[in-house]
Amino acid sequence: MSVETTDVGMPAPSAPADRGRRRGPWPILRRAAMSLLGPAPVSIGLALVLGGVVIALAGADPITAYRVMGEGALTGPGLVNTFQRAVPLVGMALALAVAFRAGVFNLGGEGQMVLGGLAGTVVALFVPGPGLLVMLLAFAAAVLAGGLWGALSAVLETRLAVPILISSLLLSYPARYFSSYLVRFPLKEKGSSLVATEPVPEAVRIPSLLSESSPLGAAIARALGPENILVRLTSTLDWSLVVVALLIVAVLVFNRRTPAGFEAGITGLNPHFARYAGVRTDRLKVSTMFVSGGIAGLVGIMLVLGSQIRLVDGALIATNYAWTGLLVALLAGSRPLRVAVAGAFFAAIIVGGEAMQRSAGVSAQISQLIQAIVIVLIAIRVQVTWRRRAKSTVREQSDDLGRV
Amino acid sequence: MFSVELLDSALFASVFRALIPILLAAIGGLICERAGVFNIGLEGLMLSGAFAAVAGSYFSGSAYAGVLSGVVAGVAVSSVLAYGAVTRKGDPIVLAVALNLFAVGITAFLLVAVWDVRGVFQDPRIVGLKTMPIPALSQLPWLGSVLFNLTLVGYVALLVVPVVQLVLFRTAVGLRLRGVGERPLAASSLGVQPGRYQYGAILASGALCGLAGAQLSLGNVVQFAENMTSGRGWIAVVAVMLARAHPVGVLGAALLFGFAEAIGFRLQGNGLPSQLTDAAPYVVTLVALVVARRQFARASTSVAT
Repeated sequence: MSVETTDVGMPAPSAPADRGRRRGPWPILRRAAMSLLGPAPVSIGLALVLGGVVIALAGADPITAYRVMGEGALTGPGLVNTFQRAVPLVGMALALAVAFRAGVFNLGGEGQMVLGGLAGTVVALFVPGPGLLVMLLAFAAAVLAGGLWGALSAVLETRLAVPILISSLLLSYPARYFSSYLVRFPLKEKGSSLVATEPVPEAVRIPSLLSESSPLGAAIARALGPENILVRLTSTLDWSLVVVALLIVAVLVFNRRTPAGFEAGITGLNPHFARYAGVRTDRLKVSTMFVSGGIAGLVGIMLVLGSQIRLVDGALIATNYAWTGLLVALLAGSRPLRVAVAGAFFAAIIVGGEAMQRSAGVSAQISQLIQAIVIVLIAIRVQVTWRRRAKSTVREQSDDLGRV
Repeated sequence: MFSVELLDSALFASVFRALIPILLAAIGGLICERAGVFNIGLEGLMLSGAFAAVAGSYFSGSAYAGVLSGVVAGVAVSSVLAYGAVTRKGDPIVLAVALNLFAVGITAFLLVAVWDVRGVFQDPRIVGLKTMPIPALSQLPWLGSVLFNLTLVGYVALLVVPVVQLVLFRTAVGLRLRGVGERPLAASSLGVQPGRYQYGAILASGALCGLAGAQLSLGNVVQFAENMTSGRGWIAVVAVMLARAHPVGVLGAALLFGFAEAIGFRLQGNGLPSQLTDAAPYVVTLVALVVARRQFARASTSVAT
């Protein structure tokens, strides 16, 4: 079978041969247009329009505001900032995507991330030893803390029939307050006005990709000039980027190439079938939540050891990566590569929103607004369609009986 | 030691303050549950209501106009949920989660756009809900001064419980609503249109959450703060589960959380760090769920895409 390509160079799914003939002479163009009119692009476009309406209601010019947003997110220091935000955002989205794909609705990413950050920081502060080793130990502690907190929600469901959806969310609050308590009292740096722990030792911090003080970095900076975007990116971004990229690959391989990944996938599609086919779904829930929470914890500690240097009270929550990550995972349909693209896109919206706040006087909350609208529209299944929609029938309703 | 000083009427007053928004929202969630819709959007509906109530009160100068606009806002946001979940057959959980975040975003955005305020908005022009003591009854010792000294919304909340109980279990509408939730096929073969009842249930939950939000922002305090519902909507969701969607049970669950919040607040006054006492309602909620150990087969499976 030959692979047809559309005029934008994307492979198009091949359709029955008679369809193109029946519908007219432009099947290829038509298909290209259809892919642009798919749910995600249409929802994003419509969300931007609705966002524009809100901006106009707030008394600003939407066109100008969006131009500021685009420039703020995609040029110069803004682009560096977008990448910097995209790394933890994609990480959190990946954590939740792993769970969603297996049909587990993890709403507790925030708590898992905070506990991971906390446990990792404690290790980084108090365990002596060579920097790299301590850093890896901190990572391990973060994965363990976030993972166990996630697995606890799963055990509550499998043993005590408390839904993960609820338990994971409720467990976030004690995690947040516990961390806040430790940072405010026992771990607080003495004599500092900042409500935060002491800074972690220099050797334990995650280095930037290519420091300007290293010989290679300095040479490149001299060759390209310190203002060059590549120089800025490599000196600002740290190795968390590589870790998250590796995680994407790992999840991709897990999903596509391993029996466990296959089992998780079919459980997400149909848990009854999966159980019938011999998947131990209870065990799968626990391990999925461990992995999901573990990734969230890892993102937490990478934020502390990478950019924040110390655990600041409320800083991990203030980023809102957990909830934005949830929207990213939903937009991406839990598929790892799409998570990366959607995460970068939402990071750009966040950075652009901040630029809008600075120069157009519109609240940066516009970004969360637009992101939420995108997901609402996708969930409503907005799409441009010329087909008549099949009316709901008794057959469809009879499926609902299974829920009772 | 402090058991005596803890259980005075001031404590009961703060129990009721904490209880009423949760109760109203939970009754909304209960109606949806009975109609076969798992509504976890209570948090966002309540937040929208709280904001609109403050805005309505500020611009009209009347607390009741504020309450009304809170209700309208709750209904408006819930209509998106109803359209998406019922008409378009979208996933109600995904929709509700997105709407919760939408509510956080739009209220914080409008706070800046309308008043140029970030965080907390207080203003003498926001008219709060007054408590309305019922003449003789409010003089009764102990509970009298609490139970008969509520805001109008508070009385409505307490009345909603028996009313919903009656409607659900003693009227044809209630029977059909429960039928739609339990056996949609059977209901529709008897000429009941499930979609209509589900729309009605979701919009009713929007109205009740709007009331809950109004009580929060005009009754308990007179201000709007970003994300001021801070998980109360989720606690209401749990209250519905704990009570297995029975109105009286929901009242009991709401009382439990009201006590947890009030005692936490009191202990904070006695010197416990606020971080530990703030966690109390959520921990109590979770422990209550674990103790109940009931089967919640409905909500948990196969919701993610």
